Amino acid sequence: METLSVLIVDDEVEFMETLVKRLRKRKLAVNGVTSGEAALAQLKETPADIVVLDVKMPGMSGLDTLREIKKRYSLLEVIMLTGHANMEVAIEGMDIGAFDYLMKPIEIDELVYKIQDACKRKRLNEKAGLVETRGASG
Amino acid sequence: MSLIRECLQKLGIVKREKTLTLLDAEALRTAFQTRYHNFKLLLSANNKALQIMSELEEARKGDTPFGMSFIRANCTAVSVNVFRMIQCMDQLAPRKYIDLYDSFRSIQGSVTEILSEKKETIAGPLIISLQDVDKTRSDEAGNKMANLGEIRNRLGIKVPNGFVISSRAFREFIGSGDLQAEIDRLMQSSPAEEIDQLFALSAQIQQQVIRTGMPAELERAILSAYAELERKEGQGVKVSLRSSALGEDSAQSSFAGLYRSELNVSADNLIHAYKEIAASKYSLQAIVYRLNRGIRDEDLNMCVGCISMVNAVAGGVIYSKNPLDVRDARIFIHSVFGLPKSVVDGSVAADLFVVSRNHPPQIVEKHIAGKRQKFVCYPEEGVCRVEILGDEGSQASISDHTALELARIALRIEDHYGVAQDIEWALDDKGEIIMLQCRPLMQRNEVTDRGRAECKIEASEVIVSGGLTASPGAGFGPVFVLRKESQALLFPRGAVLVVKQALPRWAVLLGRASALVAEQGTAAGHLANVAREFGVPAILGLEGATDLLENGQHITVDADGLRVCRGKIEPLLQDKETCKSLMDGSPVLDILKRVSENIIPLHLLDPEAPDFKPSQCRSFHDITRFCHEKSVMEMFSFGKDHHFSERASKQLVCRIPMKWWVINLDDGFREDVPGKFVDLDNIVSIPMLAIWKGIVAVRWQGPPPVDSKGFMSILMEAGSNPALDPSMPSPYANRNYFMISKNFCSLNSRFGFHFASIEALVGERAGENYISFAFQGGAAGHGRRVRRARFVGDILEEFDFRCEISNDGVTARVEGYDEEVMKEKLRILGYLLIHTRQLDMIMFNDDSCLQLKGKLLGDISSVILSKSSSAAALN
Repeated sequence: METLSVLIVDDEVEFMETLVKRLRKRKLAVNGVTSGEAALAQLKETPADIVVLDVKMPGMSGLDTLREIKKRYSLLEVIMLTGHANMEVAIEGMDIGAFDYLMKPIEIDELVYKIQDACKRKRLNEKAGLVETRGASG
Repeated sequence: MSLIRECLQKLGIVKREKTLTLLDAEALRTAFQTRYHNFKLLLSANNKALQIMSELEEARKGDTPFGMSFIRANCTAVSVNVFRMIQCMDQLAPRKYIDLYDSFRSIQGSVTEILSEKKETIAGPLIISLQDVDKTRSDEAGNKMANLGEIRNRLGIKVPNGFVISSRAFREFIGSGDLQAEIDRLMQSSPAEEIDQLFALSAQIQQQVIRTGMPAELERAILSAYAELERKEGQGVKVSLRSSALGEDSAQSSFAGLYRSELNVSADNLIHAYKEIAASKYSLQAIVYRLNRGIRDEDLNMCVGCISMVNAVAGGVIYSKNPLDVRDARIFIHSVFGLPKSVVDGSVAADLFVVSRNHPPQIVEKHIAGKRQKFVCYPEEGVCRVEILGDEGSQASISDHTALELARIALRIEDHYGVAQDIEWALDDKGEIIMLQCRPLMQRNEVTDRGRAECKIEASEVIVSGGLTASPGAGFGPVFVLRKESQALLFPRGAVLVVKQALPRWAVLLGRASALVAEQGTAAGHLANVAREFGVPAILGLEGATDLLENGQHITVDADGLRVCRGKIEPLLQDKETCKSLMDGSPVLDILKRVSENIIPLHLLDPEAPDFKPSQCRSFHDITRFCHEKSVMEMFSFGKDHHFSERASKQLVCRIPMKWWVINLDDGFREDVPGKFVDLDNIVSIPMLAIWKGIVAVRWQGPPPVDSKGFMSILMEAGSNPALDPSMPSPYANRNYFMISKNFCSLNSRFGFHFASIEALVGERAGENYISFAFQGGAAGHGRRVRRARFVGDILEEFDFRCEISNDGVTARVEGYDEEVMKEKLRILGYLLIHTRQLDMIMFNDDSCLQLKGKLLGDISSVILSKSSSAAALN
């Protein structure tokens, strides 16, 4: 199976680092950063399939980061993962285009499944885009 | 969305053309894949939403404790999944069901409104002098300090000078620097199922609170109030800081000993001590307590009383009535040397004076305990425990005169409030009585069961006896002797907690203990209070218990009979009252009930009814039901309408005399087939194959031995006579359709009046596996149809399906098992699908049902569940 690349964005360093380690053990290519700004910078350098994004962070908020990511990379899928159990924020995130809004604590397998599902969607959207362009040019 | 629309347009063109270019075929395949993926996401969201709903429904019973974070997390999760379903729907059928968004927003609005309700708070000052406090100001000062102010200012009873740091002060402190949001986040994101996880959470939050800086205005206000107190009491006066929580007013909630008190605090540490007490809102005991009692975190404001320290020569607790027996109106005075602290925390044996209510009051009982230690104030700050030397310890800690005076004061206070009181008092070095605290006494309504206490038990079976009843009843379980705090983590549910001292910190284990035994402590201690509140039988003051009882040994604690016996003594345990739900009537449960009204009820029942539409969705459940129904239809008709051979429906080549059609949604075929037929060999759908095995497992050998002729004829009739068919708006018509992928199968089977559907996801992710089954209709009269529905439900329940029977329909669900188990369940469904269709015709009476049930269960166990035979049946 092809490697999925994932970027974890969470200001809680310890949480972020643990998650990076655990996902790497599950054969994912994972990087981690601690702010929305850093996430955008990182994506410029190293593209990712999936971003796992915290909601409450100092500096750029999770929702603003999500908005910016979707604007720049419309096919990239973003999973919100947060300790912030707020319906309004959750639905706003889904509306902007988050793939899902998950709450901590989360079982690692469940997160991996979500990442796989999100990636499947991304691949399908890419394929559809490709077919479309080829169709248009041919 | 544009992508799908593009594809749809393409499909429109494709329809008119006879041959497809390779590119178009690829585009189509991708479009189908995308649709299927959306469909799968919708199903998974549906599943998740239903799962959360059933969790909410379970919680709604109020049997297990939960907090606001449980409600918030589940409301958020369910709304995310419902919203996701609507989004997927919008992808499957762009803009067709757009009204769902409006229904969603309106339901979400109602839920948010309930969740964001706040208790009204009043502004008030940051600091209130005790001389200005009475019970009308409990919203600002907390109950404890309001009561103290009341007896001081209304009854003229002596209490120390001091002031209250108000509820507004607490809100400002906790609201500063986003502290509350951070606490909520910690509460939400920390795993808190095990006690050690809660320990960690509690410590983390308390540290966070203590680290937070004090708002400057508040700090100034506290220091200036202290300066004012110094003017009355002398420079450098030491104070005690006491929690006076607001929100502990409910008569059933005692909040005994949950929060910190700081004794003998110097000016230097005033602010820090305040923070520590504020932080103790999140002590482990307090978190567990609120959870158990359904009290919202945010409703609890920690007011703090700051009163000048009484350097007591003796002190203790008065109960103005017997807490264990409502009929006993005598006054109980517990007393020790030094500070009253050791009575409250149960660490030292105490003297007991029982005083009658006669005029004048008389001492009717006097128990002088051997008091080996006492607490005294350090000169600089803090308190220490010192040994009592010589025979002083065996002397009475107070004179009879003082005891009678205490009783008189207790009666005055009780008279003023009109209810029995729990009073903390001190005797200062000038011999003056000073009241430190008073509150309503919790009395047990039940009278001790004398019969139980008299139950005869062989002397050899009694391990130890004595002590005093701190909480009545009897409990059974394995002994767990707790010698140090770290062992608390290991305390198993249902064990008997055995400790040396009845310390308040063990309260956190009482929710899990079957009984409590302590060598020291009194019925007046905090732990005893909590034991009574939780209905945990408790014997305190049982000397030698920690040595005589061995870990793991099974014992019965008879708190009424004051004895501990070997093994399980059934007669003692017989009328153990079922513990009533503590969540009952609590604010948290109330909120859950109200939000779940917007989530759980299902109003859209009949897909054929005219009001089965988005605008009629009044709950999240309605939306999930609607989306699920329509998504299956959309998947079905899309595959059917578009003449893309690969994805068109194909007839299954099989031997049984029924027609079956298969639509491949994604990867359900081994290889794509061009024609109109598909062989069973070419099918790789795990759930479909399992259902099929069940379908063909037992040949339709004829009717059960109930009424063979009639049965067979009905079967023939129903199968061959199209006149029996109702007019069918359903596109499935009189056929059996499988929609499949490798891990998914949706079967719709319509046969005459009988309508059944099975939907299943079976794959490696056990947690996502599910089967849902629905069965309805029949050609027989209503009574028999209803009987059949119950009949089918009964059988399914034997195989762990959760069934719901309504009228002549039955729906069943099972989820979360691994692949092999799920396949087994599907085989059972496949079998039942075939063998229960016409049964309504023979459901004359319960006898015939019973007989038939025997046959079906026999088949299932001999053929369906046995591993070897089902393969043979396939051919």
